Amino acid sequence: MESISPFYSLTPEVRYSPPWQNLSIIGIAGSSGSGKTSVAMEIVKSLNLPWVVILVMDSFYKSLSPEEHRKAHANEYDFDCPASIDFDLLHQRQPQTTTLYSPRVLILEGILALHDPRIVEMLDVKFCGMSVKEGGTLRGSSNSGLTMSSHHTIDMSSPNDLFLHIQRKLQEKSEQHTEELRKLGFLAAEVELPPNVHVMPSTPQFLGMNTILQNPATEHVEFYLGLLPKGTVSAVAILRGGSCLETALKRTITDCITGRVLIQTNEHNEEPELHYLKLPAKLEEHATVMLLDPQMSSGGAALMAVRVLMDHGVDENKIVFVTCAAGARGLKRLTAVFPKIKVVVGRIEEEGEPRWMERRYFGC
Amino acid sequence: MATKPEPIPSPAQGVGPIYRPDGEKPTATVSRDVSYENVHVLPQTPQLIALLTMIRDKKTGRADFIFYSNRIIRLLVEEGLNHLPVVEQSVTTPVDRAYLGVKFEGKICGVSIMRAGEAMEQGLRDCCRSVRIGKILIQRDEETCMPKLFYEKLPADIAERWVLLLDPMFATGGSATLAVEVLKNKGVPEHRILFLNLIASPSGVAEFAERFPKLRVVTAFIDQGLDEKKYITPGLGDFGDRYYTL
Repeated sequence: MESISPFYSLTPEVRYSPPWQNLSIIGIAGSSGSGKTSVAMEIVKSLNLPWVVILVMDSFYKSLSPEEHRKAHANEYDFDCPASIDFDLLHQRQPQTTTLYSPRVLILEGILALHDPRIVEMLDVKFCGMSVKEGGTLRGSSNSGLTMSSHHTIDMSSPNDLFLHIQRKLQEKSEQHTEELRKLGFLAAEVELPPNVHVMPSTPQFLGMNTILQNPATEHVEFYLGLLPKGTVSAVAILRGGSCLETALKRTITDCITGRVLIQTNEHNEEPELHYLKLPAKLEEHATVMLLDPQMSSGGAALMAVRVLMDHGVDENKIVFVTCAAGARGLKRLTAVFPKIKVVVGRIEEEGEPRWMERRYFGC
Repeated sequence: MATKPEPIPSPAQGVGPIYRPDGEKPTATVSRDVSYENVHVLPQTPQLIALLTMIRDKKTGRADFIFYSNRIIRLLVEEGLNHLPVVEQSVTTPVDRAYLGVKFEGKICGVSIMRAGEAMEQGLRDCCRSVRIGKILIQRDEETCMPKLFYEKLPADIAERWVLLLDPMFATGGSATLAVEVLKNKGVPEHRILFLNLIASPSGVAEFAERFPKLRVVTAFIDQGLDEKKYITPGLGDFGDRYYTL
């Protein structure tokens, strides 16, 4: 697991941490065959999120010596004994790491998941000593002799309590994230639009096109944008809306390398969520990476998308955020956090204008 | 429509107009036939074979790949639209004569299976100006290795529409099958789904055609088979990578 070091912009107090920086870790312990794996799977199912990763601690068993191998075959080696798990390995990072980008929930599952206090320290939810009743329902018995901070033990008379508890935890974190976005908005509200925000000049042509765009009677929507190529210019569409700009992109750069990132705003708490990510290889070597989003209001998705690009090695000053319409507050927030990006915006819209462009473009 | 989708080699035949004798036509590999009434393979014309030759060539760069696959997509969309209902329509020409023609009837929408299917949206828009387009994101579930629905955004009235389902590569058909299930759950009757596809595997398309006998498949080519990694062979590699990022 690669953890991402927090990024600080030039203005030290204005920064944005994406939700996956605040990873939730759920530990599930219990004896062999007590149903840890099925509970882990149940949790994944109940959350129904793309950001859940299960880490099975059995993969961290120490390599056995020949003597231990013999015992294991003779069924004498106690795999459930804490000494058999390489807690140092689990605690530290392995030399060869597989990068998992942006998980928000990590389920740590294993016989002794709650044994090492260093790991217990990192957990948000701890759950242990489970067994399965004859009827197939789950019953909690938290006193199974494992190291465990008792104040976090949850009564597991039904797994639904566990799921609710986890959902509450995640909800808290979502609220923190949304609150942070809100604060960034206040910080930025006072500032003038910085010079790296380029608003399209209001030529009669451009005003005419905007009039057509905003006219509710307009059936078909088209976008045109001019671009300056210098080195490899690639684009990353923030889906779903970003693909509205791809036609214009392909008309200007017919073979533009295009990555895609699907960020959706959660309907319930307005929090932007990263669902899908497919970026071109060597993106960091490109001269310019355009981020395409037809409309930006609060800028939450934009902040997240810029952050995703920077996490993948793209220099801040190579990013050009392209949008047809944006709210001033969102723009200021974006440029306060990332002062070196360039922004090309067609029209400054009223605050709180809902996202309508992609809805009209796709007709749904 | 006679041969069965067994491990027989893809047919090779002289490609060119009927009036030209076989000896004067170059030989090329053409699509396999399948004996399903609901699977329609585009006519294996010299144009289509030349376009497919371009996009199958591993030396073809992104710009050419986009250009030539867009042309095939256009052919697929045009053929797909032929399966939509039309009604008689009489018009008066500028010289005041009547012309008895037809007009399209019924509402349509496109649904692309992300990400490769999105490459087919523009071809559909070029033919149907303000067409509604929904999207479905299906990914392999790491735990079960089965295709899993991650995201969908579809027109609210999709149940009343003809749906053109877009996905260029049809290997095992896991994603397409799940996408059809999603559409059926939204109330779209099977007979109003048209699946537009560039290259299909013979086993995948046969299974799909049997599972959804009322749905129609329009494809440019039924290929030789699948390799051990479930890639279509000879195929063209990863369509999404070649179109968007390579």
